[in-house]
Order: sequence, then C-alpha cells, then structure tokens
Amino acid sequence: MIHFDQVSKRYEGGHEALSSVSLHIEKGEMVFLTGHSGAGKSTLLKLITRIEKASSGQLRVNGQILNRLRRSQIPHFRRNLGIVHQDHQLLMDQTVYDNVALPLIIAGEHPKDVTRRVRAALDKVGLLEREKYRPIQLSGGEQQRVGIARAVVKKPAILLADEPTGNLDPGLSRDIMELFSEFNRVGTTVLIASHDLGLIARLNYRVASLQDGKLMSTPFEGRRT
Amino acid sequence: MSTRTPNRPTTKKPVSNSANRRRDNAQGNRSAWLRHHRDCASQSLMRLLRNPVSSALTWLVIAISLTLPTLFYLALSSLQSQTEQWQEGGQITLYLEQGLPDTDGDRLTRELDARPEVARAYYISADEAWTSFQETLSINRQALGFTDNPLPASIVVVPAQQNSSQLEALQLIIRGLPEVEDVQLDLAWIDRLNRFLELIYSVVTGLALLLGVAVLLVVGNTIRLAIESRKDEIRVIKLLGATEAFVRRPFVYLGIWYGLLGGVAAWILVTAVAWWLRSPLTAFLNTYGLEANVSWLGFTDTLVLILASIGVSLAGAHIALQRHLKDAEPR
Repeated sequence: MIHFDQVSKRYEGGHEALSSVSLHIEKGEMVFLTGHSGAGKSTLLKLITRIEKASSGQLRVNGQILNRLRRSQIPHFRRNLGIVHQDHQLLMDQTVYDNVALPLIIAGEHPKDVTRRVRAALDKVGLLEREKYRPIQLSGGEQQRVGIARAVVKKPAILLADEPTGNLDPGLSRDIMELFSEFNRVGTTVLIASHDLGLIARLNYRVASLQDGKLMSTPFEGRRT
Repeated sequence: MSTRTPNRPTTKKPVSNSANRRRDNAQGNRSAWLRHHRDCASQSLMRLLRNPVSSALTWLVIAISLTLPTLFYLALSSLQSQTEQWQEGGQITLYLEQGLPDTDGDRLTRELDARPEVARAYYISADEAWTSFQETLSINRQALGFTDNPLPASIVVVPAQQNSSQLEALQLIIRGLPEVEDVQLDLAWIDRLNRFLELIYSVVTGLALLLGVAVLLVVGNTIRLAIESRKDEIRVIKLLGATEAFVRRPFVYLGIWYGLLGGVAAWILVTAVAWWLRSPLTAFLNTYGLEANVSWLGFTDTLVLILASIGVSLAGAHIALQRHLKDAEPR
C-alpha cells in the first residue's frame, strides 16, 4: 500500500531530512513510526501526503507513483487518505458536524449520504450528541476524536496520524490508539508517527524507527509486492 | 437490470452496469458541482453580510469610483442629444448666379437633397428672399430706392453629419458647382463644439479607466485579506483533497457579490445625483433659451454599469487569488 524505495529528501540549503529510506507497508497493516523530533517522521508523512516531493527514489502509495503525479491529480489522490494531526486542525468557526462533513462535501457527496456518514463516523468516536458543538467547546481528547472522525468519514484506504496522542494524557491516549486498532481490524492500512514508546510497546504492531533520516529497523512482515 | 433507478426511461440498447454507474457518477458530479456553486454563492453573501461595516466600505468605494465616470457619461450623452437639436445651426447657404431661372434652382436643390451627406436642402427664390427681406425691415423697395430685386436666389443645405471633416468635404463639392456664386457657412462653432465634446469624451474615458483600476485594486485587496484570514482553513481543505477550483470558488463569489452590490449602489448614487441636479440644470439651460434634456440611466446603461462593476471585481478577485493562494499550501 505504501512503498518507499531508496527515497531521499533534501531541502533547499542541503539539509537531508531522509536518506535512502526503504519501507513497505502492506494493505491492512498497522505500523508505528518512531524517532526523536527531527529524525524525519514528519517529512516521511509529508511525502506520503504529497505536501513534499521526494528528491530521489520512488514512492508508491495506493498504487500511484507520487513523483509522477500531476498537480491537478494531487487533490484526487489525497481523497484516499485519512489524516490525523497532532493539533487536529479543525475549523474553529464551524460545528463538529460541519468539520466531519468536510471531506464528503469536497468529494461532492450527496447531502443525504453526508448526514448518514457523518453520524456514523461521530457515533464511532462516541461524539454523536456533540455534533452541534463548536470544537472550542470540547476537551482536547474530544477534539482529537473529531479529527479522527473527519479522517475516517470517507472510509479511506490509508489512515495516517502524526503524533495523534501528543497532547493527551495516558488514559485518553490508550483510547485513541484503540480506535486506530479498530479501524485497522476492518481493513484500513494505518501508519502512526509517535514518540510515545511506552504506549507503542504495549501494542503489538510493527515499529519502524527513524534516526537522523535513516530507517533503523524494519522487521519485515507480510508479502512484498 | 437497473432496478436501482426505476424512474429512468428504459433504453433500447442494453446498458452494462458499469456504464450505468458511470452515467450516475457523471450526473452526481454535475449536481455536486452545482450544489457547491449554490452553497458558495450563499455562504459568501452570508459572510459579507455578517461584517456589514467592513464590507460596506469596500462596495461603497466601488460605487463612488463608478459613479463619477457614469455621471460624466450621462452629462455627455445629454449634451450630445442637445447638439442634435442644434443640427439646424450647421447649415450652408449657397448663393446662386443672378438671373438663374427658378427651374434650374429647383433642379439643383433636388440633386443636392438626394446626396447622402445632405440631410435636407431647400430652395429660396430671389422673389421669396426679397419679400422676406422687406418684411423683416418693414419697408418696401421704393423706399430703399431699388426698382429691381438685388438679391440672388439661394439654396439652404443642412448637412447630415456634423463631423468637421465630412462638412469640409461637402463644402468642396458645393464650391465646385458652376451655378453657385458664393458659399456661406456657419460651421466654425460646430467644429469647436465637436472638438470640445471629443476632449471631454477622452477625459471621461481616461477617468473611467483610472477609476476602474482603483476598483480592481480595492477588490483585489479585500479578497487578499479574505484569503489571509482563511489561510488555515484553505490549508486544511487542500489536505482533505479540495481541488484548486473548489478552493477558489468562495472567493470568486465574494468578488461577484462586491461587484453586484457596488454596481447597484453606483446606480442609486447616479440616479440620486441626476435627480439633485435636474432643477438647477433646467434653470441654467433655460437662461440660454435651451430645452433641458437631462437623461437618466436607461435599462441597457444600467445593465452595462452593473456588469462592468461585476467584471472588474471578478478580475480583482482573480488577480488576488493568482497571487496569494500559493501562500496557502499545506505545510
């Protein structure tokens, strides 16, 4: 599903954020990405979401070779990704419902389907009765769950999360990770960048570790395509 | 086969399920596109009305910028309709040779009347001229000491065009006629008036262009601020897969609304000023014995004014989007 082949990313000024990274994540897998801040976790996620372009090597996501993607194809490519941010990136002047509906509106779904699917997603994260609230009226954990509902409302093939528990206490963090596990169980490919090593250790998933832009250990599981 | 869509008329050729789905998709995409246009239009208007003071400042600037050239245009078209009334003033008098028979004079008049550059030509015989002259002075020929009529017959020509170069061309033709002894024309003031109107017209055009650029800049700046204040939102929706057109659409509609409101406000201002100036202008023109003919903005003029306002505002919005949307890429 996500295939890095000798991918490097050099920023202007010569700083190399990723060097020759090869990482293969199969369909339906759940993988944690760890490393110190500055190790290249965010850069790796930005390459997958096509915010940044790889300097060399090949990156294939959901069957598409990202370096060959035209500018006009990027929006449609991104619609197959669900992205959860550390600071959840909700629109503060809109309701919880409108925030979660956004990916469906962008994709041009019919209003009837939008209502049904937004309710389903909010139900999944346990916030159905908060749909008329504004994000500012919710706690940090609830805001993060709204962000997750927005990421999964379109049932994306791939779910990406950048430090989704960065601002949450251990109890809430466990709940959030449990949510990701649930989505993974129904077939979604999940990649979570996190430095919460204690939490990751308790969950039994593959861990890819970045250090200074290099991938340290990728015990390979599943089949290579 | 297609139990999903029972309302659709059945086609003669069997259609595969995938073809059906593709058609459904195409229709769905079109209605989604229309829906988003409708939503953007209403949401942009709501946004604009939610900040009435700051948005009013923008469309008032648009209105005032458009009012000035429109008023000049109105004044100019009023003046032009006046000069049409004065068309008679630009006549040419042809004095014919003494003793030319009236039949020849009549024939020449008909020939001149038939020319395209002549609006009207009429013949004044020597006798008519003499009678009219005596009536004007209220005396008879004996008192003047004349036994014969000393006046020649004449033809009065009213040119069709008041354009000075065309008038000169007509004058050359007339001077070439063998029966014509002398030509008197009263054209200098018309020439002067025309040149004056041309000058005013250039000034108005320049002013309109300058103020059009002002509208462009004002709307561009307003849209730039709107983009600036929603930069985070733009970043988020781009990451959620919004196309460039989807991102631009609300701002394009914002431009359209500013243009429409500005145009309507300009129309109200122009009409108010024209109404305000009507009676003093009538009084002023009456002192010259002229009939006041203050024009109002007609349907077409109003439409042009509002469409021009929308057009310039749209251009301003596009310039702002072109320059500032790049700054709102996801990070």
